[in-house]
Amino acid sequence: MSATRSSKVSERVAAKASDPAPQKKKHDDDDGPSFGALFSAWIEAHRSSLLDSLRRLGKQPIGSFFTCLVMAIALSLPMGLSLLLSNVERLGGSWQRAAQVSLYLQLDASPSEGEGLVRQIKEMGGVADAEYISRDEALNEFQKQSGLGEALKELPENPLPGVVLVTPLEVDKAALEALRTRLAELPKVQQAQLDLVWVERLAAILKLGDRFVFGLTVLLVAALLLVIGNTIRLHIENRRTEIEVIKLVGGTDSYVRRPFLYMGALYGLGAGVLSWGVLAFGLDWLNDAVVKLAGLYGSDFALAGVPVSDGVSLLLGAVLLGYIGAWIAVARHLRELAPR
Amino acid sequence: MIRFEQVGKRYPNGHVGLHELSFRVRRGEFLFVTGHSGAGKSTLLRLLLAMERPTTGKLLLAGQDLGQISTAQIPFLRRQIGVVFQNHQLLFDRTVFNNVALPLQILGLSKTEVVKRVDSALERVALSDKAELYPGDLSTGQQQRVGIARAIVHRPALLLADEPTGNLDPRLAAEIMGVFEDINRLGTSVLIASHDLALIARMRHRMLTLQRGRLIGDGEAGV
Repeated sequence: MSATRSSKVSERVAAKASDPAPQKKKHDDDDGPSFGALFSAWIEAHRSSLLDSLRRLGKQPIGSFFTCLVMAIALSLPMGLSLLLSNVERLGGSWQRAAQVSLYLQLDASPSEGEGLVRQIKEMGGVADAEYISRDEALNEFQKQSGLGEALKELPENPLPGVVLVTPLEVDKAALEALRTRLAELPKVQQAQLDLVWVERLAAILKLGDRFVFGLTVLLVAALLLVIGNTIRLHIENRRTEIEVIKLVGGTDSYVRRPFLYMGALYGLGAGVLSWGVLAFGLDWLNDAVVKLAGLYGSDFALAGVPVSDGVSLLLGAVLLGYIGAWIAVARHLRELAPR
Repeated sequence: MIRFEQVGKRYPNGHVGLHELSFRVRRGEFLFVTGHSGAGKSTLLRLLLAMERPTTGKLLLAGQDLGQISTAQIPFLRRQIGVVFQNHQLLFDRTVFNNVALPLQILGLSKTEVVKRVDSALERVALSDKAELYPGDLSTGQQQRVGIARAIVHRPALLLADEPTGNLDPRLAAEIMGVFEDINRLGTSVLIASHDLALIARMRHRMLTLQRGRLIGDGEAGV
């Protein structure tokens, strides 16, 4: 039976050999494919690599999920701390507000003189904004906040001075001190006050926090690259025979590398989505307690969730890290994958 | 097509795979390389596939010096060659069609062209009806023919086969050799490493005989 089949094969091949059509086809091939055909083949190759990577991840859903989860935790820690720091900054007011210079005016300064002073201050260098609070406004506010409304009404005259609140452009100890000195020399200014100690402490705490987040980010990014690198290494080991065959039939390094890069990027994307979810859920979960605590201090402060821009950056960063991790892993192992 | 000029291969452990080998292979020629185990047949094929480089002499394939070829050029060299292995080297998680299509996908051909060429290659080895099966569903002989289809699908100038009938019974071996001859008739140079002297003798093609890395015979088989 096999011999019969072999002779059939020979007949078919002989028929093909005598057929002039293949010669014509060969000539067509020599002209080379058009740019459009090459481009669509390139797109097809990438599409096929992406689908193949997705299929392979889908074949091991639990393993893939846990890899993404480990990466997500590594991403969530620095990102979460960074978001908490942003909220602390918001809680303490903006930097500029924290460093406001309060100018207490002389008691005989009229509201028009106060307004004039504000215009003059706004034109000074190093000033972001200035706001005038008249003596009457100051008294009203004090009455509301102190609960001494009735007692204050008994006073023969308003004891509070007019105030100009000056917001500086930059928060720098030397610059703020210089600005305070210049403001103190203005006419009708009784006293210029700046609570630098508080500003310095807050700045130091936030700077420490920023540095801690940066260090943690560096460490966890390194951990994340190791996780993705090790995962991709295992995938490479599992596909060693396939890679050897691909290389033997003319596959370039970039052809071998491509599906693993897609796989790394897909792991990153999965980790990014999970991390975004973990952070959104975590902040929401914390928010109840924070709102309650803030309420006890008479504040309506609440934690802000994950801003969309931060979430998108997180996704892009995670995809990029996955891609880079995969690239490093493949580059390291590609040389070992020479056909044997 | 192929030119060996005093080609030698010495491994780092001191073992000499080939001793000053010199011969030429014309375009469209069919030849066997034979010899006992360890004679240097596989080393010769590995040199032609640029899996190893000669330590002495000059090896030219289609005008390219394989001793000087850069690593980046090797994949492009291999695209001019088809390879058939004794153990088939098929990918068992891909269908027959996808196994055969692999070299064409690497070349970046369009889907339509891939389908056309794979169909043609499978027809050439009489496996058209097995395209959607997996290699594990096929007999050893059929698996070898899938390997051959994959080796010829991209219309290589040179077909190399390393003991392609090693695991086959004589009837299947003869059938596979018939397929190689058919391919050779279409203009492809065929170089087969085999120690099956009885089979080689029946085919009456040029035969190089190696012994301990030296060329000890170059003539027509069976003469």
